[in-house]
Amino acid sequence: MTQEVENLIKTDYAAGFYTDIESDTLPPGLDENVIRFISARKEEPEWMLEWRLKAYRAWLEMEEPTWAHVHYPEIDFQSVSFYSAPKSMADRPKSLDEVDPELLATYEKLGIPLHEQEALAGVAMDVVFDSVSVVTTFREKLEEAGVIFCPISEAIRRFPDLVKQYLGTVVPQKDNYYAALNSAVFSDGSFVYIPKGVRCPMELSTYFRINELNTGQFERTLIVADEGSHVSYLEGCTAPMRDENQLHAAVVELVALDGAQIKYSTVQNWYPGDAEGKGGIYNFVTKRGVAHTNAKISWTQVETGSAVTWKYPSCILKGDNSVGEFYSVALTNNFQQADTGTKMIHLGKNTRSTIVAKGISAGQSNSSYRGLVRINPGAEGARNFTQCDSLLIGDRCGAHTFPYIESKNPSAVVEHEATTSKVSDDQMFLCQQRGLDAEKAVSMIVNGFCREVFKELPMEFAVEAGKLLEVSLEGSVG
Amino acid sequence: MSDFQQQALTLAAEQQSPEWLTALRARGTDVWSTAKWPTRKTEAWKYTSLNPLQTDTPAQWASVDDCAWQQAIDPIALDATRLVFINGHFSREHSSELPAGVVRFSEADASQQALIRQHLGTVANTGEHLFVALSDAWATDGILLHVPRGARLEKPVYILNVATPEAQPAVSSQRVLVVLEDNSEAELIEHYVSGSEKQNLFVNSHTEVVVGNNAQIQHYRINLEQEDLLHVGGVHIDLHRDARFLGFTLAQGSRLKRIDYHVNHRGEGAHLGLNGVYLPRNKQLIDYHTNVEHRVPNCTTDEVFRGIIGDSAKAVFNGRIHIHQDAQKTLAELSNKNLLTSPTAEINTKPELEIYADDVRCAHGATIAQLDETSVFYLQSRGVTRADAVRMLSFGFINELLNEVPEQAIQDYLRPRLTTLFGESPQGDELGQMRYE
Amino acid sequence: MLSIKGLHAKVEEKDILQGLDIEINPGEVHAIMGPNGSGKSTLGNVLSGRPGYEATGGSVLFKGQDLLELDTEERAREGIFLAFQYPVEIPGVSNMEFLKVAVDAKRKHAGLPELSAVEFMKLARETSKRVDLDASFLKRGVNEGFSGGEKKRNEIMQMMLLEPDLCILDETDSGLDIDALQVVADGVNSMRDGKRSFIVVTHYQRLLDYIVPDYVHVLAGGRIVKSGTKELALELEAKGYGWLENGEG
Repeated sequence: MTQEVENLIKTDYAAGFYTDIESDTLPPGLDENVIRFISARKEEPEWMLEWRLKAYRAWLEMEEPTWAHVHYPEIDFQSVSFYSAPKSMADRPKSLDEVDPELLATYEKLGIPLHEQEALAGVAMDVVFDSVSVVTTFREKLEEAGVIFCPISEAIRRFPDLVKQYLGTVVPQKDNYYAALNSAVFSDGSFVYIPKGVRCPMELSTYFRINELNTGQFERTLIVADEGSHVSYLEGCTAPMRDENQLHAAVVELVALDGAQIKYSTVQNWYPGDAEGKGGIYNFVTKRGVAHTNAKISWTQVETGSAVTWKYPSCILKGDNSVGEFYSVALTNNFQQADTGTKMIHLGKNTRSTIVAKGISAGQSNSSYRGLVRINPGAEGARNFTQCDSLLIGDRCGAHTFPYIESKNPSAVVEHEATTSKVSDDQMFLCQQRGLDAEKAVSMIVNGFCREVFKELPMEFAVEAGKLLEVSLEGSVG
Repeated sequence: MSDFQQQALTLAAEQQSPEWLTALRARGTDVWSTAKWPTRKTEAWKYTSLNPLQTDTPAQWASVDDCAWQQAIDPIALDATRLVFINGHFSREHSSELPAGVVRFSEADASQQALIRQHLGTVANTGEHLFVALSDAWATDGILLHVPRGARLEKPVYILNVATPEAQPAVSSQRVLVVLEDNSEAELIEHYVSGSEKQNLFVNSHTEVVVGNNAQIQHYRINLEQEDLLHVGGVHIDLHRDARFLGFTLAQGSRLKRIDYHVNHRGEGAHLGLNGVYLPRNKQLIDYHTNVEHRVPNCTTDEVFRGIIGDSAKAVFNGRIHIHQDAQKTLAELSNKNLLTSPTAEINTKPELEIYADDVRCAHGATIAQLDETSVFYLQSRGVTRADAVRMLSFGFINELLNEVPEQAIQDYLRPRLTTLFGESPQGDELGQMRYE
Repeated sequence: MLSIKGLHAKVEEKDILQGLDIEINPGEVHAIMGPNGSGKSTLGNVLSGRPGYEATGGSVLFKGQDLLELDTEERAREGIFLAFQYPVEIPGVSNMEFLKVAVDAKRKHAGLPELSAVEFMKLARETSKRVDLDASFLKRGVNEGFSGGEKKRNEIMQMMLLEPDLCILDETDSGLDIDALQVVADGVNSMRDGKRSFIVVTHYQRLLDYIVPDYVHVLAGGRIVKSGTKELALELEAKGYGWLENGEG
């Protein structure tokens, strides 16, 4: 820590909130001092602090985007707290008895094991719980393969050269309003490095870093797959997280070097607000990957949570023959709003991209697909296929499609199709005549509608994603 | 305010108009003068720059109305009531005797004035298209086409708008109002054309169409203009119960050509059928924006646009379908297909759906592709050269839409003009005729 | 007419023809039969120069010249005609225009004057009658919305108009009912003039009841494994292809 930062902390923060590392939370507001505080707290090197400050200064000059098909009251960034360390054990519920029964009922339906329920609900527990042995064997196995998988704050200290080389190269600090904000104040996240030619021996999941779950607010993830390597990364958890933070602005950067493959799967089900539309998370995420020659990046997402979602996992197909994929299910219910999709930027020759987006709207919610397929002049022989389907459940919701298609190469082939449908009376009748209740019938039909995307998910995720839709659709059939 | 905005206002102030149009003109002037000039960040103008208007801001109102144009222009051979405008000026000499129901604003009688005041500016929405405000501000004259209840216009109305070069860059304005009362029927052809010499006109043209209950209009808008001409325009349509608008549009030429179709389904059972073709070449830019508002249940939309973009040309297509809440049982389909034929050509397409009703069937598709190689082989295996195969298939790509044009004279007019776009055909005209002997 | 020696060809990196020999004299009708995947259709496509069908070895002499050196359209003008198994639909390109351009190209190649529109239309109408296609089909897009039988008859009509020296019928019988088969066969038979040669590719013996071949060849594993006269087709019908393939061993 530099002398300067130390002084700042002493003078400005000593009196007020800087008390105990176990429970400190910054008071609301954002200025350079807050950023210095965060950086100091994480014992970051000077270059990292400068990097954050540069982002912060850029952010001050930027305007909040308004083009998305979402409506929410203006966010007062001075009323947001930008640092909140994990709650101390003392502040957490002592046992599941103290946890909101509705939340527990949901866990029950999803079939989540008890110890996971405890973890998800933030129940205080010994640092060691059942799965610790899992964590240990897991770590050993990865180390053997030379894979680095750790919190990004740790990576900044232990592997500064790697982080420095790639951080911000895919999503620059000034990329967009929320990315700039994230770059300035990111709390933590994951860092993954797969060495040349290594096939990561297991699916990497944030599940194994469950003790860091509460760092989600301004998460920053960087995954670097070196030449010829493979990795599959699972993000999120499969039960509604008890997270009271209103604003989330995460950034995920993927770098797939020559011949590498990255598969990134997300199940997002943060608090969507109640049936009246009160509360819920604002989720403004920037996810992007760069695929070099012969590399492949595949995004799969199942989005059922958050009050407002603004998220476009994208691929820059830089190298020749690189491949980008985007498979998405976005389900909105009650008053949720989701504006999500992808960008496929074709730069290299013979680059290929596939987009399959399924939007399900119920209640009074709105779900939008927003996508960009851009074929640059040099992308000889590029191919894109896009399929966007919307399913509406009820007559008070909305489903929208905003695909931007730009081509500057005559040898490229781009195909976009979009359809919209409802759960038909005939389908319902058939199911009900065979003895299914209305809710079960809808969830079955919806699952069928999403099958193309679910089959891209890792097995155990796919099963839970299906159940999750069922839970999220509750009350959507009158 | 941009230079062009300022200049346009100056030009508006210079123009005389009937007293009863001043309210509309004042309203337009107001909107125009306070409007934010569109930039690349304005969604509706994201891919289309208005810079040509800024760099060569036209300094005067078009003045030419001689008949030199006739050497270069041959009109569509229609058996129709013909109204000819040269650089926006009405040419009585070249026009037919106007039948009842077709009248210039400046010659409208009291009841026609009342009709114009009732409808003009109510279909075209300045919020939807900035240049409607300019059209309002410049509305010194126009044409009313009024078909009374249950009547059927005997002959099509053919409005031929001819552009010829002015001494200095100039502007011209065209405004058409169509009012079809219940159960009536009409056919309207709007034809914008110029000779092949370098043009220096900016044309702002807007047509408003009110289609009453169970009325029908067959509408054509053909823009074949030399590539230095600038043209912004729109067709704005209100469809009432069981009304039908059957449209065909084709555009070629212009450095800046932007045409909007804005359609309101206001009565149940209404139908929109719209086919369009754009064929920019050289450094031309053609931008079609279509927006269909399904405001009520049980309406249908069937929209097909195809484009072939060559050389260093650019095309923009934005097709929006908006299904309002409770507009149940809507059937809407939109298809947009594009062919890029040069490494420096560019296409930007955005088919949009905004849907707030569940019991609807909506679909759109957009493709950018090359000619199908299997078809090329099939033709080659019959002895056709690759170049001829490409020419035939390119033309075939748009000919599918030409074949659906009900007015034979328009097919016959367009086909030979379009076949030559795809390279010299040994039998161009002859073949065009052969099909319909 | 056609002399194929040791022809090897591949499709999408896969070797399909592996040393095929065949000799066809003017006026002869050769049937090529064989199980699915034996390379029957590949032969027609290689001979007509379809992209993606690459001859990798051997020689093909057509009327004394190296056929493989020629472009697709040159082969067509020299007199090779392939009746497609799956005729291609080309919406927007009228059948009439297509036929006229093709016939003119062929005539020009032969040093003949182009036909006038009137002459051609007369010829086209007469020809369409010969294959029992209504003249209205001439105005429609090429094969656009045609039924399976109409497409095949359109192929035969093209063959009649182009008057090729060598006609290759690629499973022309597939998907045809007896009546349509009769029309197609009559059309083909009417073109047998003692000079024109035919290669009839088919999976079933049935077609050969209508178009009686001079020779029957069995194609298996990319080679002719047995040749004979029309009786061979009957034998195949009775025994299936298995006994030949096993013999190949």
